[in-house]
Amino acid sequence: MNMRNGLWVPVAAAMLVMAGCATAPGESIYVPVGGQPTDAPEPPRTDVGTNTDSAPVWRKSEQPEPEVSAPVESAPQSSSPSYRDAGEQLSPAALSLVREADALLAQGNVPAAIGRLERAQRISPRSAAVYFKLSQAYVVSDQLGTAEQFALKGLSVAGSDLRMQRAGWLLLADIRRARGNVAGADQAEERASAL
Amino acid sequence: MKKSNSPSGKKRKSPKKTAKNQRRPWFWRTFFRFVIFGAVLLACWMVYLDAVVTSRFEGRRFEIPSRVYARPLELYDGAGISAGALERELALAGFRKGDGTKPGSYRRNGGRFVISTRGFAFPDGAEPRRQLALSIYRDRIENFSVLRGESSPIVRLEPAQIGGIYPAHKEDRILVQLEDVPELLTQTLLTIEDRNFYQHFGVAPLSIARAMLANIRAGRIVQGGSTLTQQLVKNFYLTREQTLLRKGNEALMSVLLEMHYDKDDILETYLNEVYLGQAGTRSINGFGLASQFFFGEPLKDLQIHQLALLVGMVKGPSYYNPRRHPERATERRNLVISEMEDAALIDSVTAARARGMPLGVSERPSYSENRYPAYIDLVRRHLARDYREEDLRSEGLRIFTTLNPAIQYAAEYSVTDTVPRLANASELEAALVVTAKDSGEVLALVGGRDPQFAGFNRALDANRLVGSLIKPFIYLAALEYPERYTLITPVQDKAFALEFNDGRRWEPKNYDGEERGPVPLHEALSRSYNLPAVRVGLDIGVGEVRDTLQKFGVSSDIPEYPSMLLGAVSMSPVTVAQMYQGLATSGFNTPLRTIREVTDAQNAPLSRYNLAVDQVADPAAVHLVQYAMQETMREGTGRSAYYNVPEELALAGKTGTTDDGRDSWFAGFSGDLLAVAWVGRDDNGATSLTGASGALPVWSRFMAQVPQHGFAPVMPDGVGYHWVNGQRQALTNEYCDNARRMPFIAGSEPTQEVSCSGVLQKRIKGWFEGLFQ
Repeated sequence: MNMRNGLWVPVAAAMLVMAGCATAPGESIYVPVGGQPTDAPEPPRTDVGTNTDSAPVWRKSEQPEPEVSAPVESAPQSSSPSYRDAGEQLSPAALSLVREADALLAQGNVPAAIGRLERAQRISPRSAAVYFKLSQAYVVSDQLGTAEQFALKGLSVAGSDLRMQRAGWLLLADIRRARGNVAGADQAEERASAL
Repeated sequence: MKKSNSPSGKKRKSPKKTAKNQRRPWFWRTFFRFVIFGAVLLACWMVYLDAVVTSRFEGRRFEIPSRVYARPLELYDGAGISAGALERELALAGFRKGDGTKPGSYRRNGGRFVISTRGFAFPDGAEPRRQLALSIYRDRIENFSVLRGESSPIVRLEPAQIGGIYPAHKEDRILVQLEDVPELLTQTLLTIEDRNFYQHFGVAPLSIARAMLANIRAGRIVQGGSTLTQQLVKNFYLTREQTLLRKGNEALMSVLLEMHYDKDDILETYLNEVYLGQAGTRSINGFGLASQFFFGEPLKDLQIHQLALLVGMVKGPSYYNPRRHPERATERRNLVISEMEDAALIDSVTAARARGMPLGVSERPSYSENRYPAYIDLVRRHLARDYREEDLRSEGLRIFTTLNPAIQYAAEYSVTDTVPRLANASELEAALVVTAKDSGEVLALVGGRDPQFAGFNRALDANRLVGSLIKPFIYLAALEYPERYTLITPVQDKAFALEFNDGRRWEPKNYDGEERGPVPLHEALSRSYNLPAVRVGLDIGVGEVRDTLQKFGVSSDIPEYPSMLLGAVSMSPVTVAQMYQGLATSGFNTPLRTIREVTDAQNAPLSRYNLAVDQVADPAAVHLVQYAMQETMREGTGRSAYYNVPEELALAGKTGTTDDGRDSWFAGFSGDLLAVAWVGRDDNGATSLTGASGALPVWSRFMAQVPQHGFAPVMPDGVGYHWVNGQRQALTNEYCDNARRMPFIAGSEPTQEVSCSGVLQKRIKGWFEGLFQ
């Protein structure tokens, strides 16, 4: 445990930073039912983008910048198979549970922390951060095999979020090293530094 | 010996004389013998009774059934739920429509809700009482706020009780402690049933005499002279028959009980033991449960007129049943209120007001024990792994399940509403399993076309051939070799025959009997062609396909015959759900769970069943299979789902049909939910159904009723999307004919490129499309 503690700080810090910004593009599409399936067609959605304050101002002559984040694939109307580049962010409700879990972990109450994190996972099941947090809780309770699986699960939904990916690969490297899997740890570290 | 051989003659000669001479000593001797014998017998009997009294009282006094709870509803901004579902959920958890101020009540105004929670002791901490406000817009919670009580961005409602595991004698109760019982209740009880309770020693001869006198005067039984102790003894140890011997025993045991235990102990036991009603085979014992059962409220929240009714019902729970005989019950209640007034427990104004109140009984019992038989069946099987049946029946455990009542409601509705509309419906049966895609929690389970029927549970016990549900796993095994298979690899849709060593031949066929020649792999899967699936499976190896299935959680026997590639494997719907869980996530096996936590009666944790994940397949290969399963819904065998489901809900799935339509399957998922539907006959007879015409309508009607996120998997590492021309096995341009954007495992995309003429013109034309029409 001790040798791992040093590495925890940057990982945990990075995750908290990321958890801070809630709601982002790339959320999967929520489809309400609205009671009657025979309802008249709904008015076109003006995208539920809540962060209108940060909307860019477009000028007519503007050229695209070299590194624009990939456009959201497959608009809702499209009938082609959909996928996303980006993972989802923690919802504010899930974030509050993650914070409670942090406090419980600090008190050494791992089962209660895991309980909070599982609640957060049910609310934001497509957010990498919540799986990394679960992984962290299992490291604290010395269940490294379980911790490794949650790190992998988190990476599987991290998508193009480079900071999240980096946190995940470093976490995985830590866990693998602690389990004696040096080659696996090195490989994970390489992935992190290649980002 | 000699003497005794011939005494009879002697005795016959002078019986009178002998009797006369010896009467006194003989009589007394015999009498004393009898008295001593009787005393010893009585002493023995008393010792026996004492043992009976103390053993029952000392040991576990009550067998408390285990309580099974649904998952608590979490309320927070952004939570997905319709207003109707929230209202049903509130009703199930025992909330009443009202002003939203009293704990356990809510007010609804269109999409706006004000809810006053009662608070609940969850295993991981208490949710305090709060008053909440929220609105529901487009099936999502908005403007969530805590009006009163501790502020929090997320609040759990108290969970609905969905069942119980009862002792053999079917007694149900909620234990209360004397200090938690409203004092007015105990005082009223003593006033009505036993005024001298704190003075007498178990029996009250004066009361008995008074009662007898009253009864004689009235010519019928109008008063009972039994003390509370006697009533308790009667309920506790004795049968209901009215004999003198039983009365005697009752009196003796009452005295013994009083000798051993103090008054408060006896009173508390009485409060928990008294019989107050019946719900089917389950008896309602004690004031704690009676309060829940009749008013849907905890005992401490009852008002005066409600307390008076419960005390009044002690005299005759079925005669004064307020649901069946409201007039009698009201009359009895008002009598009790007057007695309370006479005894100065309440003032006359309060009494008058209480007499004017309606009975205040909830319309139906707070829950019915058999509401979700199939689901509870699965819970019990999971519990049986870790708990003994007798502990479940008696230890008062609290079992927190993952059942989502709103999802269960939608699942039941889709089965009961859809199955009767299918062809030859009267012979059909069905099952539906719904799980949370990323946590493996079983949210709903329907075990037959009549969801209330607690019989054969098809979701768990109908082991049926799975047909084409197996195909995604064949192609998954193949796509894990990107150098051999990609989504556009041409596979042969062409008949062939397999000859076995023993001379048997196997000639698989397509469902429609057609042959199409080479088709791209993704189309072979989304259209569910048999011949390419068998060819690919044989190429990869039956053993490898079997390994893949086992990795995804199939623990039953999987035959190694090639016919397995067309689904000649039997599985239950729940097993299919387990197997598809890994496909719905990116190759992570997630064990299905119905129980989150079990605590003892004092809320101390006994077991937790945590979320677990286990990566069993390459996420990149799974992503490609997910692509083809989405194509199934848009262009392939699953496209009729969109008759029911809104166009913008992205789904992925697979049909399954077995020979002669004996089994109709559909397994698929959205962003949040995974569901498996099965339709068929119990006798395994033929039907005219396919997966798309039997199970899919059930599945899609279910999906259409639940607000949820569309399926949009995150593109895993090492996968790239490219525009390709499938027929020519080449990269192409977005605006060329036959262009399709598809995922490839890095390095397996085609290297060749084909262009088409006039690309720029087509693109420009595309931009102006619609502008000048």
